[in-house]
Amino acid sequence: MHTSLDKIVSRIIKLLAAITALLLVFITLFIARESIPAFKQIGVADFVFGSKWYPVAFVGEPSYGIFNMIVATLYVSAIAVAIALVVGVGAAVFLSCQANQRQRNLLYPFIDLLAGIPSVVYGFVGLMVIVKCFENLGRSAGESVLAGGILLSIMILPFMISACSETMLKHREAYEKTSSALGVSKWYMVTELILPASRKSILVSMALAIGRAMGETMAVMMVIGNSTKFPTLLGKAQTIPALIALEMGMVEVNSLHYHALYAAGLVLMLLLFAINAIIMSVKQKVLE
Amino acid sequence: MKKTAALLISLLMVAALFTGCTPNSDKNAFKGQIYFNGSTSLAPIIASIGSTFTEEYKTWNKVDPSFPETDIAIYVSSGGSGAGVKAVLEGTSDFGMLARAIKDSEKEAIKDYHEYMVAKDALTISVNKNNPICKLMDDISSDLAKKIFSGELKYWDEVDPSLEHQEIVVVIRDLSGGAYEVFQKAIMGETLISENAIQSPSMGALATKIVENKWAIGYAGYGVYNKNIDNLFAFKVDGVEPTEANIIDGSYTIQRPVMFIMDGEPTKAQQAFIDYIYSDVGKAAIIDNGYIPSK
Repeated sequence: MHTSLDKIVSRIIKLLAAITALLLVFITLFIARESIPAFKQIGVADFVFGSKWYPVAFVGEPSYGIFNMIVATLYVSAIAVAIALVVGVGAAVFLSCQANQRQRNLLYPFIDLLAGIPSVVYGFVGLMVIVKCFENLGRSAGESVLAGGILLSIMILPFMISACSETMLKHREAYEKTSSALGVSKWYMVTELILPASRKSILVSMALAIGRAMGETMAVMMVIGNSTKFPTLLGKAQTIPALIALEMGMVEVNSLHYHALYAAGLVLMLLLFAINAIIMSVKQKVLE
Repeated sequence: MKKTAALLISLLMVAALFTGCTPNSDKNAFKGQIYFNGSTSLAPIIASIGSTFTEEYKTWNKVDPSFPETDIAIYVSSGGSGAGVKAVLEGTSDFGMLARAIKDSEKEAIKDYHEYMVAKDALTISVNKNNPICKLMDDISSDLAKKIFSGELKYWDEVDPSLEHQEIVVVIRDLSGGAYEVFQKAIMGETLISENAIQSPSMGALATKIVENKWAIGYAGYGVYNKNIDNLFAFKVDGVEPTEANIIDGSYTIQRPVMFIMDGEPTKAQQAFIDYIYSDVGKAAIIDNGYIPSK
């Protein structure tokens, strides 16, 4: 009786796992199918490298080029990951090597809470604090790539910290006794033993964080200004998720504009796959 | 025992899926459902009027004793004004909602065209009330507005030499929204809006941006302007003030009609709902959404 039940349960679990994997396949297929008309009519090169996005032509011809948006998406994410990497690794070192168990128990929930704040709330805070701060510093409009990057870095921090600090804690436990027996100072142990040993988990946390950063929509949309021109550090820009969120609601179903938005989504997904693949191959090299 | 119960329940659930699908064989039978499709501006209004209507009466016989006792169901979906016209042409929807004037070609394609004007929507050219320009002028020519929104004038001191050398922060709605189209037609004509303009995801965000930024200018909708009237300053455009009277009589030109259309005469049930849209309840919903009721 039990063995047959076990078989059934194991089959169901296998089926569920397969469904989960298939979901990704189906989502990709669906998005690809919806974007084919756009690639056919606009041309892949014109779409990806075109610098003018003017999908609804009130004046002249419509133009579908998402190059500026691709650059902006990468730009904002790179700034965010750069900031979060410094702060996140620092915080992880503190939590694993400096703080005692009581402090850790107190701080971890706060960091986890950071991840639970809805992105629209982050966006609102960004608008009222970061953007306002830029304006008080003399910029006429505070919406900028840098504002988006700073805001995003706060949003991805919890992912970086929790992924790094756990491994660091394990490494500390492994090295601490030997280090102190050899009379090595704590910070020597951190820089020479723990940090190099944690490279792998730092890379994994970066992969997680980049995925989160590139896909983040609402918060970035609220602080980046959504201008379609080429992004500069203090200038306004528009990311691909922001573009899709802004225009999908109004677009006429099955128009070229509609397909172009799906195509932009597909480009974003492919970019993410590519970046993750790069990080994974770097991780392999680091391990060797 | 538990398993049999679970099996029974799931079978019941599957059966329940099909119960809604009883075929509607008789075409002349009373139709309890009304379908709307089209403009994203009008959809929330019709949906909210629809839900108060459904809550108030529940079944059609309570609307009018001559109707049968069928449940009221009003379905609203939004896909833009173009989709609204298309839905009426293809017969997939009873009513098409539009937030723009209907094109002659569209009108000709519909056999028995009826339109129901619901409201007017207008855009004000607004700045922050603390902007010193409010003390200098209260009237903006459409030509000056065009120069500001196209990015030809970049700093406020280019608008008037006595103003500070501060960048003009232009705030607009997203490219594909209805407001963009209205403004393009009424003010910009053949000129493109500056690529440097901030695109706001909603009218509320647009107004907030102007309220928060002293050097911003944008086309706040009439409704959202009135909600922020303490912090915003709306210019007269070519001498015409954006007031309710001027918008309704058409002398204030940055505006668009919000309406729904249908092919053929409405049935009695549909007429009852149309009357409800024009009732005080409907008008309140229209005003709540920031538009001006047209009747």
